[in-house]
Amino acid sequence: MKSSKLDLGGSNLHISDGILEPQWILFWYAVSAVFIALGLRAINKRIASDPSYLPRISLIGAVVFVISVWHIPVPVTGSSSHPVGTPLAAIIAGPFETVVISAIALFFQAFVAHGGLTTVGANTFSMGIAGAFGGYLIYRLLKNISPLWFSAGMAGLAGSILTYLVTALQLALSLNPENVTYYWKLYSLGFIPTQLPLAFAEFAFTAYAVRYISETKQELISSSRGMDRFTKTALVLMVVIASVIAAGAYTGYLSGYEMAGVDGTVEAGAAPFADTDSIGARLMARFGEPMGFALVGITGGLVTGYFWTGLWRKN
Amino acid sequence: MLEWLTRDPLNGLVVTFAFFISLIAGRYLREKRSLAEGKGRKTDPRIKLMVSFLLIIAITSMEHWYFPIIISILFMAAAMRLHILWDYSKKLAFPLLLASFILVIQGFTYGVNRIDLGIIPLYMDGVEYGFLIFTRIFASASILVLLITTISENELLESMRWLRVPVTVIDISSFMVRYIKTFSNEGKKIKLAQESRCGFSGGFANRMNNAASICGALITRAFGRSDMVYRAMLSRGWHPGSRQSRIPPLGRSDAVLGLVLSSGIIGLAVFDRFL
Repeated sequence: MKSSKLDLGGSNLHISDGILEPQWILFWYAVSAVFIALGLRAINKRIASDPSYLPRISLIGAVVFVISVWHIPVPVTGSSSHPVGTPLAAIIAGPFETVVISAIALFFQAFVAHGGLTTVGANTFSMGIAGAFGGYLIYRLLKNISPLWFSAGMAGLAGSILTYLVTALQLALSLNPENVTYYWKLYSLGFIPTQLPLAFAEFAFTAYAVRYISETKQELISSSRGMDRFTKTALVLMVVIASVIAAGAYTGYLSGYEMAGVDGTVEAGAAPFADTDSIGARLMARFGEPMGFALVGITGGLVTGYFWTGLWRKN
Repeated sequence: MLEWLTRDPLNGLVVTFAFFISLIAGRYLREKRSLAEGKGRKTDPRIKLMVSFLLIIAITSMEHWYFPIIISILFMAAAMRLHILWDYSKKLAFPLLLASFILVIQGFTYGVNRIDLGIIPLYMDGVEYGFLIFTRIFASASILVLLITTISENELLESMRWLRVPVTVIDISSFMVRYIKTFSNEGKKIKLAQESRCGFSGGFANRMNNAASICGALITRAFGRSDMVYRAMLSRGWHPGSRQSRIPPLGRSDAVLGLVLSSGIIGLAVFDRFL
């Protein structure tokens, strides 16, 4: 903006105007709008119970903006660049709140020629949603089993890498929709020389920043609860079962089965009279098997999780 | 020597009248033009924002490179006229870097019409597509840069209110706009203080520690300051339900201008498709 006097050198991963096709512009706006609405709901709830939260979240947003245009030293290349900043913001303010802050920050950044007006949705998704949620998840997973600085650093690293992978995916989806996987790899490889060193810089930056805050104002980051026993058990089971399946598939692959799957076995043995034209089968055919299995997993998990406590109480 | 004055004053009178009337007329025309230019700059920011957004969308849907190029040249000429060419060029640097990256990737990988360059092949389809994307980015970035030099933060916030952006977003945005410069300046001061105490002088870890401590200090200050800001808000009679004054309506001439420009942009996009 004409009165802005911020230091805005260097480069980072904002998609500029003119790159994404109109249908993708709308798509990323729509997806980000859902998360922004959820974030706004969370913020409004907090403001309703504690009105002082409004200036607090706003001032944190201002600091996140300043940090995201700040130069940090990058290893190997010897140059300096901007951190993504959203994993750090998610640790301090929460991931949904970070989506709102980053959407506003990206809108204003477009007015200092970083990113673009039509790409606010896409940039919010890559930085504010993928970067913040990915980083925050890693932070929560590692927080109770590793030092605070390490879990925060890993959040920064994961958030930065996720941001550039999602940006590469957004470019591939819009520019080369006929061969997305190939171009996703290509754009990701193209970003590596600048973004991988920056991810390591983000690791150090987030780790040091969180350590500093924990030493000076501990209540800012110690308020979040750790994982309960149920969550821990579920995550351990998830990793164990996924490892067994992966190991089994790999053993089968080495034996020459080429991961043909167990569809034939299931159809012939377990469900010989199943309707091949059912809604489930048609949905699978339309959206692909992985999407179908994901839907089944989400539905089953949600229902089981919802009734879990009630079941135990009755017993 | 003074014959022209004593015997034939007509020429002298003509020249005198002509000169002074022209002088007054010239001054009047200049003032009128300045006034018109001033009015041009005062086009409603909502119209500027919406027309720019529509123009960028139209450019991203264009299939011929020459329209974006023409738009880029027009906006570059406007930047020259506004004496912001240096700033304009600086702000175009990053979008054009990304555009070049896409041009290279497309040129070396996309398409079937292959040209052998010896070590690696070049694809003509990819070069054409990459160049189209390049021109789109150039034109879109030019529009954005020109827009940002003619719109202020407050005008932007007013436009957001008019566009029915949620009140919480407006509130957070207006706070952010006010405090971004404050925290930026504070960050610079802390950095200067660290540098004067031999900070930012060691290896990577030391410099990163210094940068992160500035960030941590700013975050803790933000928390501390937010309490003071809240107390100040309360002392001015603020409460969660209090909202700002009504949004000023859009002027008729601005609405007509917006309509004409939007129609022109849509027409250009349609023309590009049918060409």
